[in-house]
Amino acid sequence: MPARGAPLPVTNRLLDRLGARDRAHVLAAGERVELLFPDVLAEPGSVMPHVYFPLASFISMVAPMGGKSNLEVALAGNEGFYGLGVAMGVPVSPVHAIVQGSGPAIRIAAGAFGRELARMPRLRACIHRYTYVVMSQLIRAAGCNRFHVVEQRLARWLLMTADRAHSASFHMTHDFLAYMLGVRREGVTKAATALQQRRLIRYARGAMMILDRAGLERASCACYRSDLAMYARAFD
Amino acid sequence: MPSNRMENHLLGALSEAECERLRPHLEAVDMPLGEVVYESGGSLDYVYFPVTSIVSLLYVLENGSSAEIAVVGNDGVVGISIFMGGESTPSRAVVQSAGRALRLAAPVMKAEFTRGGSMQHLMLRYTQALITQMAQTAVCNRHHSVDQQLCRWLLLSLDRLSTPQLSMTQELIANMLGVRREGVTEAAGKLQKAGVISYRRGQIKVLDRARLEGMSCECYEVVRRETMRLLAPTAPG
Repeated sequence: MPARGAPLPVTNRLLDRLGARDRAHVLAAGERVELLFPDVLAEPGSVMPHVYFPLASFISMVAPMGGKSNLEVALAGNEGFYGLGVAMGVPVSPVHAIVQGSGPAIRIAAGAFGRELARMPRLRACIHRYTYVVMSQLIRAAGCNRFHVVEQRLARWLLMTADRAHSASFHMTHDFLAYMLGVRREGVTKAATALQQRRLIRYARGAMMILDRAGLERASCACYRSDLAMYARAFD
Repeated sequence: MPSNRMENHLLGALSEAECERLRPHLEAVDMPLGEVVYESGGSLDYVYFPVTSIVSLLYVLENGSSAEIAVVGNDGVVGISIFMGGESTPSRAVVQSAGRALRLAAPVMKAEFTRGGSMQHLMLRYTQALITQMAQTAVCNRHHSVDQQLCRWLLLSLDRLSTPQLSMTQELIANMLGVRREGVTEAAGKLQKAGVISYRRGQIKVLDRARLEGMSCECYEVVRRETMRLLAPTAPG
């Protein structure tokens, strides 16, 4: 993960789709901030004061279940943004939003973002299209969570995380993986061991490294590829 | 516009000017039980505003496994991809309870949405409520028992109907919940024994709603609250 203050290796792909003038307006409405794991950006039912366009950071949305069970339902990195509710006119978070990957993001106050949306058709179209993408991914994830085995889901989740971390290695505890995948810790241990034995990943003391990306893609369910294809179709 | 437009809450919340504009384009259609309104990955010619019908949105995996991800009745609209800019639908839509709906051709809907106004405002708010419902259903499918899910499902369906009675086969319920038929038979049997529902010849009648709510997981309440927030007269964010 990039060190704080390092030159930006990435930009936000949604903002990149705007023309230079629109992008400059949006950037001027916000500020660059550093998001840190495991900061909480919103709790279920809380008002969302800001939207975030991740640059190298990424934000996980976890649906609450009362008690200990949870499930990650969406992940926003520099291919997307966090704050759908604000864009949809209901600025109340339905989920826990947690910084999963530290790094910079562009933060914009909800009110200011609403004004930019109102006067910028291109930004609006882009955000609506992204909302459609998120919804489609959410629908696929529901099926995936229900029907695919933990090993496939873990492989998929590691690929999604690596894409957003812009790195083949990142820090990840067993407990966190279990929390995100909505499974027991033993289930994660077993799946990670299986992937490790196939030399697809190396995982020790919370340090995760993807050794064989192509192999990991084959170990994942088709949902990983389908999500990427859907994003590309929606925006190209 | 047919006189029953008020029976769909979204249409009922539009301004007079918008209603005037849409009136000639809204068409009342019958929605027979089990009809596929659209297929996952298909294109959309119309949006549907259910009036007395209920439509289930289902995910469909590559291997054909499917289950319900959201339920849309007179609180909502089917076919939001049309105005969100997606070229195909991410889910399959199936009529889960027969009745009527009003439909609007895609170009008319797109044009109205693009005008801004309360149509756009409402559709975006509804989209957010739908996303919340989908996220909640995803977790519910993963973590809750068939018994709890059946209760949630019955309550969400009932809220979208004008009677406490639902025509439904166990097979359809099993498809909605993505479980085996025997699981539904067992769960429904328990509810019947407890005097919470009666179930015969495909007719489910709720006898004790309060207890049904008590036996459901919290997912019902989360979705209900979100749906109410949607039409609450608050200033947009």
